Amino acid sequence: MLVFIARRLAISSLTLLAATFIMFFLVALSGDPLADLRESSLPDAPRLMEARIAAMHLDEPIPVRYFSWLTGIFQGDLGVNKAGTTVSSLLGGAMESTLKLVVVATVLAAVIGIAIGIVSALRQYSSFDHGITFAAFVCFSLPVFWVATMLKQYVAIEFNDWLRDPYIPLPIILIIALCAGLIWASVYNGDRKGKLTAFGIGLVVTAVILFALSASRWFADPGLGFPFVLVVGLATAAGVAALVAGVEHLQPMYAALGAAGVGALLYYPLQPMLIAPSVLTLLGLFVVAGLVSAAIGWQFGGLLRRQAIPLAVFSGLFVAAMIFIDRLLEAWDGYARALKGRPVATIGSETPNFLGNFWQTTLDSGMHLLLPTLALILVGLASHSRYSRASMLEVMNQDYVRTARAKGLPERTVVIKHAFRNGMIPITTILALDFAGVFGGAVITETVFGWRGMGKMFEVGLREVDPMPVMGFFLVTGTSIVVWNMLADIAYAYLDPRIRLS
Amino acid sequence: MTSVHIAKRLSEAKRPGTTEVLKVENLQVSFPTDDGLVKAVRGVSYTVHEREVLGIVGESGSGKSVSSMAVMGLLPKSARISGAISYRGDDMLKMSERKRRSLRGRKIAMVFQDPMTALNPVHTVGDQLAEAVLAHELVPYKQAQARAKEMLDLVGIPQAAARLKSYPHEFSGGMRQRAMIAMAIINNPDVIIADEPTTALDVTVQAQILEKLLEVKDAVDAAVVLITHDLGVIAGMAHRVLVMYAGKPVEVGDVEPVFNTPRMPYTAGLLGSIPSLETSGGRLRPIKGTPPSLINLPTGCPFSPRCPMATEVCTTEEPVLEETDGGAHYAACHHWPKLAERADPTAIFRTNSEITP
Amino acid sequence: MTEKTEMTIKTEPPASNDAQGMTIVARTQGQLVRRRFFRHRGALVGMILFGLVFLLAFSSIGFGPIPGWWDKPWTGSGTVVDRGRPTLSVIPEFLGGAGMHLGEHPFGQDNIGKDYFAMTMRGAQVSIIVALTIGLVSTAVGTVLGALAGFFRGKIEAVIMRFTDVMITIPVLVIAAVVGSATGNLGPYFMAIMLGLITWTSVTRLVRGEFLSLREKEFVEAARAVGTSSMRIIFKHILPNTLGVIIVSATLAISSGILLETALSFLGFGVKSPDTSLGLLISDYKNAMVTRPWLFWWPGLFIVAIALSVNFIGDGLRDAFDPRQNRVRD
Ligand SMILES: Nc1ncnc2c1ncn2[C@@H]1O[C@H](COP(=O)(O)OP(=O)(O)O)[C@@H](O)[C@H]1O
Ligand code: SF4
Ligand SMILES: [Mg+2]
Repeated sequence: MLVFIARRLAISSLTLLAATFIMFFLVALSGDPLADLRESSLPDAPRLMEARIAAMHLDEPIPVRYFSWLTGIFQGDLGVNKAGTTVSSLLGGAMESTLKLVVVATVLAAVIGIAIGIVSALRQYSSFDHGITFAAFVCFSLPVFWVATMLKQYVAIEFNDWLRDPYIPLPIILIIALCAGLIWASVYNGDRKGKLTAFGIGLVVTAVILFALSASRWFADPGLGFPFVLVVGLATAAGVAALVAGVEHLQPMYAALGAAGVGALLYYPLQPMLIAPSVLTLLGLFVVAGLVSAAIGWQFGGLLRRQAIPLAVFSGLFVAAMIFIDRLLEAWDGYARALKGRPVATIGSETPNFLGNFWQTTLDSGMHLLLPTLALILVGLASHSRYSRASMLEVMNQDYVRTARAKGLPERTVVIKHAFRNGMIPITTILALDFAGVFGGAVITETVFGWRGMGKMFEVGLREVDPMPVMGFFLVTGTSIVVWNMLADIAYAYLDPRIRLS
Repeated sequence: MTSVHIAKRLSEAKRPGTTEVLKVENLQVSFPTDDGLVKAVRGVSYTVHEREVLGIVGESGSGKSVSSMAVMGLLPKSARISGAISYRGDDMLKMSERKRRSLRGRKIAMVFQDPMTALNPVHTVGDQLAEAVLAHELVPYKQAQARAKEMLDLVGIPQAAARLKSYPHEFSGGMRQRAMIAMAIINNPDVIIADEPTTALDVTVQAQILEKLLEVKDAVDAAVVLITHDLGVIAGMAHRVLVMYAGKPVEVGDVEPVFNTPRMPYTAGLLGSIPSLETSGGRLRPIKGTPPSLINLPTGCPFSPRCPMATEVCTTEEPVLEETDGGAHYAACHHWPKLAERADPTAIFRTNSEITP
Repeated sequence: MTEKTEMTIKTEPPASNDAQGMTIVARTQGQLVRRRFFRHRGALVGMILFGLVFLLAFSSIGFGPIPGWWDKPWTGSGTVVDRGRPTLSVIPEFLGGAGMHLGEHPFGQDNIGKDYFAMTMRGAQVSIIVALTIGLVSTAVGTVLGALAGFFRGKIEAVIMRFTDVMITIPVLVIAAVVGSATGNLGPYFMAIMLGLITWTSVTRLVRGEFLSLREKEFVEAARAVGTSSMRIIFKHILPNTLGVIIVSATLAISSGILLETALSFLGFGVKSPDTSLGLLISDYKNAMVTRPWLFWWPGLFIVAIALSVNFIGDGLRDAFDPRQNRVRD
């Protein structure tokens, strides 16, 4: 495995090197770096021009410039831009916000997209499947910059306006509830009566929730609260356990319920620790939650430990996440007031000079990520759902799935154990390939939302025919892509034992 | 072929009992497709007794696999199924899905045609075997693994304990098929359905696999439904045989009478295309033509376009399966008495050399 | 990394139907493909939609020397009427609307009174031509490279595939922005050709995959055994069998081509004024979003309509060329 990674790393580095050369060449040829000075009427334009020629080594051939850039890189020097600022200082803050955006968007798009694709495949030719297929095609055809601009105008600005008086009109509640009911019915697999029931439940539940939220002006000061955490935690644990482990043997369900229950009961005792936590404290709490849940799973699992432990861990972490979100939402009121009631951000990656506690700053960065991420994931969502649908359909037709059924395994085991893992194998490749595209999308969204991220650096650099910042951008981008590809390769090798050995 | 050797083994094997384990009655399966309704199985009936080996023979596409998948309950949702499939008297088509699943792999197990694709490439062989136990019984994983090892030993895989940790791609085709057989018998089934278990294998290992199948069937006291397109395989392996053509049984009976005195031209044709049987007079007599479309079947006898004995009545009336010359030997042919008059029924098909003008 | 990507659908002729006795009438591959394509509802709608947009864009303001039926130019300004609101009305009077008519400025006007319908049509023309060019050039280059790599293997393949790997490391939008900023001044069509020259990677990988599997097939072996030349094998025996994959990826390349061009133009690295494109229009008027939202909506809708219709056509073609789509009706 180590040899595999090392070889992969060597090849990737060479690939990246070649790519930097191509980029450098193209950027250097992309225009005239002196254009602004040539047209300038300043008296000392010729002198400035000479100074710039000297600073950018424009008198040297491009390959020579490339090699001096490369030598600089190995000495940790990324060069300076036209104005003389070092690229490293430009990259500093820019890199963090852009990478955050890209990684969050990629992970979300992958998780949600794959989930949708699998459900779509398992319900092939259902109305859910047809609906998703159509939606995916629409998403494929949406220009990111258009969607981003629209989100900014209609979602952010109008949502902020709405938040002043967060009351949902009855017709809207009904329309949303109707849609929810239709989705429930289309996912339900069974006869007409069952579908009708699913529709009814979906409709009523959604309508009641929305009505309650609206009546209690929940959006003005959102939060979850202990009863919610307890009930939803237990219900989710039971539901997932039923879905994954079935109801024939109940040990996994008890384990999941146990973990969720213990987690929820810790709601009040934990509050003091959550007043001003550090990131490390939070991580520590999550790890502890996982370990305790695993122990509960081991204890309750009996002969079904192999199922019970993951289920318990999932339930425990789910409740932990809910407690986290609850605490985050508690900060909402103060945060929204600090921003004069306009919490959905439209510009930048953080509110400038915003001073708040841990929760408020977390919320701040989350709110700034919200819309750009939304704009970015649409395309990824569509492609991941299409690919995983195709892959799952392909796998579900394989002989070994038939063998698994012939053993008498329940359908959910067939899907989870036999189909899912095989279906994910080609997806890892797609994930790797699509990652580069997300960076392209990030450049666009950053422009629309006015982030001072790497996208901006690239855009300005390219417009001014300034190779250093563009190359700085590409170095980070290319390295991330190479690293990501390697992660995908490792995932591939982990999933497919046939690769592992060769 | 190795028929002689296997025949000896079958006579050594335990005698069939009289209890009916599996009974299929007038099974019909069709698939709606864009091109029309594919009538893949059009009325198959058979009975399998305890420890009995029933051979099902027919050309590719004659509905052998579809009918056995119907027994397993593994047909795609789009399939339209009618008739009755009874396991020890209970009609499985009327059972709850849950009850059906508890029979599948526990009482009725299956060995598939292509061992290269029938095992999941990402799980170990041991895990896939143990899983078959755990699907029906709540036992510790270790115990299931131990049972898996025992089964691998039984089917003749050397170093079974180490092999449990292997992945399917580390096995040869023959070993994978042995593993598949091990998986089929791991829950002591009453019936093993083997769908062309040796078709995808090298000739050299085919005989070993068939022998192994007979051997383990006795180890777990199971009956076997052995599906094949090769009559030669049936000769030494089965007690009774059912010949299928275009989704229907056309001849049913004990192996001996069917082989020695076929009462349906199609069976005679199949016999004539086996190289080693004496009845063919040493010459190969292949059946000309291809099986009919299952969407637009010809009227009358589906075999009539290819049958050298076909007459007017054959193209208008479909013959039904009826008892021929006693001894539970059935055939579906208007002209079986004429066939019975011939000394060598296979000779109705001309050999290659006879056709050349 | 390269070998595993061929998730796409293989296009082998549906040979097994015969053997399974299912074929009723022998149909040629072409007939089958056509039949399946026209049964695909999305593809049909896509064809009609694309045809309409194409006709509208090119007939309205005319193209080159050919005049169109719309009398207002896309360059000239004029007096702003009713704050530049669109005069298009599609709701008939008996439904309580203003009747169905185009009016003076169906898509409205910008702040200096330019007719936005004419401008959108010009933008659509440029965007369509650029997208088609990108699609065709990238497919042609990709096919040649993929065919060379897949057929000759060895060193040629190693070089081509390593080069492909290098290109994949650079996000398409990034390298396209660089190329666009270098060539945008030389006119949209030249830029389109250059963009086609850098976006061939996915076609290359696909075609190579097809060639790899086809070159092992009996009919190729047979051709080689009787001494057929490599070129003849490629063009007569293998290429026709990969046509399905190539046509499908060409369609998809066109739809991503329009998204690429509009994104570049939006960023300012694509089509430059005085010419215009759908992306450039959105970029130019994005600040008018609050006061004149229609300036933002029309070009966007046209981009979505074009990309969506082409995507649906591509999906129909894929289904048509994919024999496994012998779908079972539920
Ligand atoms: N899911 C399906 N949809 C449509 N036709 C099918 C399906 N499964 C099998 N068939 C058709 O049923 C016929 C019988 O197939 P099968 O039972 O596999 O034949 P064999 O005797 O070779 O095992 C074939 O013509 C096959 O094409
Ligand atoms: S019924 Fe007629 S066509 Fe059919 S097998 Fe008998 S003789 Fe031949
Ligand atoms: Mg079969």
